[in-house]
Amino acid sequence: MNLSALARSPYASVVYVAVAWLVLVPLFSISPRYLPPLGTVIADARSVWPDLVAGFWRTLVETVLGFVAGTILGVGFGIAFAYSRLLERALFPIFVALQTVPVIAFGAIVVIWFGNTIMAKVVIALYLAFFPVAVNTLRGLELADPQRIALMRSFGASRLQLFLKLSLPTALPNILIGMKLAVALSIAGAVVGEWFGDTVGLGVMLLQALYFEQIPRVWVLIIACGLLGTLLYGVLAILERRYVWWRPD
Amino acid sequence: MSSSIKQGVAAALFAAIAGVSAIGSAAAADPVSVRLKWVAQAQFAGVYVAKAKGFYEAGGLDVTINPGGPNVNVETLVASGADTFGVASGTEGVLYAREKGLPLVAIGMSQQITPFAYVTYNETGINSVKDFKGKRVATWMVGPQYTLYSVLAAEGLKQDEVNIVSQPFSMQPFIDKQFDVATVTLYNELNTLKEQGITDIKIFMPDDSGVTTQQDAIVTSEKMIKEKPEQVQAFLDATLKGWKYAFEHKAEAVDIVMAAGSGLERKHQELMLDEIERVMTAKSGTTEGLGYIDMKSIETVQADLIKFGAMKTPVDLKAAFDSAFWAKVPDADKKM
Amino acid sequence: MSDPQADASRSAPLPHLQMVNVWKRFGEGERQTVAVRNVDLSIAPGEFVTLIGPSGCGKSTLFSMIAGLLPPDADGSVLLGGKVQQDGQLLGKVSFMPQKDLLFPWRTVLDNATLALEVEGMPKNKARARAEALFPEFGLKGFERHYPHQLSGGMRQRVALMRTFLFERDLILLDEPFGALDALTRAMMQRWLLDIWAKHRRTVLFITHDIDEAIFLGDKVVVMTARPGTVKCEERITLPRPRDGDIVTTPEFTSIKRKLLAIVEEESMKTFAAAS
Repeated sequence: MNLSALARSPYASVVYVAVAWLVLVPLFSISPRYLPPLGTVIADARSVWPDLVAGFWRTLVETVLGFVAGTILGVGFGIAFAYSRLLERALFPIFVALQTVPVIAFGAIVVIWFGNTIMAKVVIALYLAFFPVAVNTLRGLELADPQRIALMRSFGASRLQLFLKLSLPTALPNILIGMKLAVALSIAGAVVGEWFGDTVGLGVMLLQALYFEQIPRVWVLIIACGLLGTLLYGVLAILERRYVWWRPD
Repeated sequence: MSSSIKQGVAAALFAAIAGVSAIGSAAAADPVSVRLKWVAQAQFAGVYVAKAKGFYEAGGLDVTINPGGPNVNVETLVASGADTFGVASGTEGVLYAREKGLPLVAIGMSQQITPFAYVTYNETGINSVKDFKGKRVATWMVGPQYTLYSVLAAEGLKQDEVNIVSQPFSMQPFIDKQFDVATVTLYNELNTLKEQGITDIKIFMPDDSGVTTQQDAIVTSEKMIKEKPEQVQAFLDATLKGWKYAFEHKAEAVDIVMAAGSGLERKHQELMLDEIERVMTAKSGTTEGLGYIDMKSIETVQADLIKFGAMKTPVDLKAAFDSAFWAKVPDADKKM
Repeated sequence: MSDPQADASRSAPLPHLQMVNVWKRFGEGERQTVAVRNVDLSIAPGEFVTLIGPSGCGKSTLFSMIAGLLPPDADGSVLLGGKVQQDGQLLGKVSFMPQKDLLFPWRTVLDNATLALEVEGMPKNKARARAEALFPEFGLKGFERHYPHQLSGGMRQRVALMRTFLFERDLILLDEPFGALDALTRAMMQRWLLDIWAKHRRTVLFITHDIDEAIFLGDKVVVMTARPGTVKCEERITLPRPRDGDIVTTPEFTSIKRKLLAIVEEESMKTFAAAS
């Protein structure tokens, strides 16, 4: 086994953080209110393991559904905006205004519309995921090289062919950037969505931990949310490396 | 209106999120829901017990319990009809809702004494509320500050004689002695302090200063009272019966709450249920019965709120707090 | 003889491409600039015509008009096979290769080569089979599954040429295709292009900055004036074919070069004077 390669792998950073945690907390006798010992946090995670797994799964489902729906809508509107100035001028300012509305205010409406169903969380995750995808899709489509457009036109390409064979592939790296932003926002959306009332989920557990001031539990949930984010981001990174590896030149 | 928007948006999203329908499918015909002010915990044991023990079902109700959270406004959800019933904030919350014109009605008040208290370390030398003068007193600025103002007024202190500061939703600044006095709820923050091993503290209760504000109002909408009074009655009967059962079978009640929530600590829930029992059975909670609406204390609260400028005009208290249903709850269900 | 058909057959064959009084002006009134003025040019079928001129003389504008990407002003016309081409009608009729290779980075070399065929609606398998047959000839055998960023500049240029050739139009427009290559690669590419041309016999219009290249490749060299560009003169190159690298050292070549150099320099000086 090549040790130096192992030491550089992304998994190694988890070990580094864990070791630092194990060493530094007793070394500087950090108060458990600020940072509890790693052992305490692990023990706390084990004490609620089934709830943690159920919560992780539930929040994951909410995040993924919201993210996928937000991405589909975002790409759709990005395309519509790129091809219709009128639509862009009419709708884009509304979307910008919507983005400035704190999700808290919007969330209250979502609860009235959807109650405490998973749909409510999905919609909030969607609401946050949608915008970065739409903006980056629009920006990506605008990147299509005029010379390549001219080349395609000289081949007699139709508008649809131009879009499918040139504009969309050109935009894909940008769409991926939007999706990476969106995935983090979707998690935030799902967690905050759970704060509008639910019984299962990482957000619910976080709320309880804050309410009862269970500091080790808060750390357990921070790690769980981090894992969830890393997992989804990792999936996107793999998809990107495999299918969207080129960069606009 | 809201239901047509709901359907429209739902339809639009359906294609994108088709898979969700299986998870979020609806319940049986003519269901009702109760919206709590926070996530599942022993503060709402009566409701969970009434559901788990079949008291609601026996009353002909199919009740869905919707937990709340920091961003959930129970008054709005119940007044809009999104939820049928609610365990809402309390006297002040109901008054504000009525002042804003929401068709919300309280049909019972869970907590009979003010569940807030003020704590200070023994070393500060503060021995009474009068000693708050010139001290840093922290309270939550989302409603409980008016209780503090009332307490100060009752003790003959002016607001500007006390350095009132905003308190975060953590006891850490108090533990670090950044405040001389902090606000707690009897059923949570006080337990948090005990859990941290902090016992060298004094506690001042608003009721000792003659300030009572009932909390955790059981609410419904005017529409429900007009159109389905029998459901309102059945809900209140079963809920109070649930509370009585919970206090008589505490271990079982905690089991039920633990099963309804996620990742709860049994110890926290036991302590909470003890304190909830104390504030619900205090004063009229025992003499009159669980859920008693103390109109006298409500009148005082409204007068104080108007005095402090939190309310502009008084509301019709008879319309806001309807004791008729409570009066019809059988004594066997509400008397401890 | 008054039979018009007999007349036509006796006269020279119809030009493949003909430009009659072609202008391109941009803007209005005082701010109007003229990019191309009064261009008359005619190219016979199978002819290899090279076009040189000082930079900024409107060569690319002229090319865009021939490719159908830009309509000429209303007072002139472009004829293809004797037929006047209206706005946009030329799109899809001319094989056009711009200066840069413009390969699509997300497509393999093979799929870049078949791009035009795909646009035409040819099934992928058929298009690939047709392209694969050309790979040895274009010196790209074994690179079918590579991506453009894995290739050298010369190879990328050949891929772009293959893409142009596979778009089987009788008229090919090449806009400084070897401009970015080093001298050695460029010389090899020129000879290779002549081989390909000899085999396929398409009509070629080739833009270049390089007088040697223009003479070496062309049946006819067209010199453009400084902006606003028009045709200054045409020089027929009678050097024998097939031509090899040594030809550039022959006295015939040198005398043509000297003559053209003088004309081009004169035009370049005008550009220089206008700019300073």
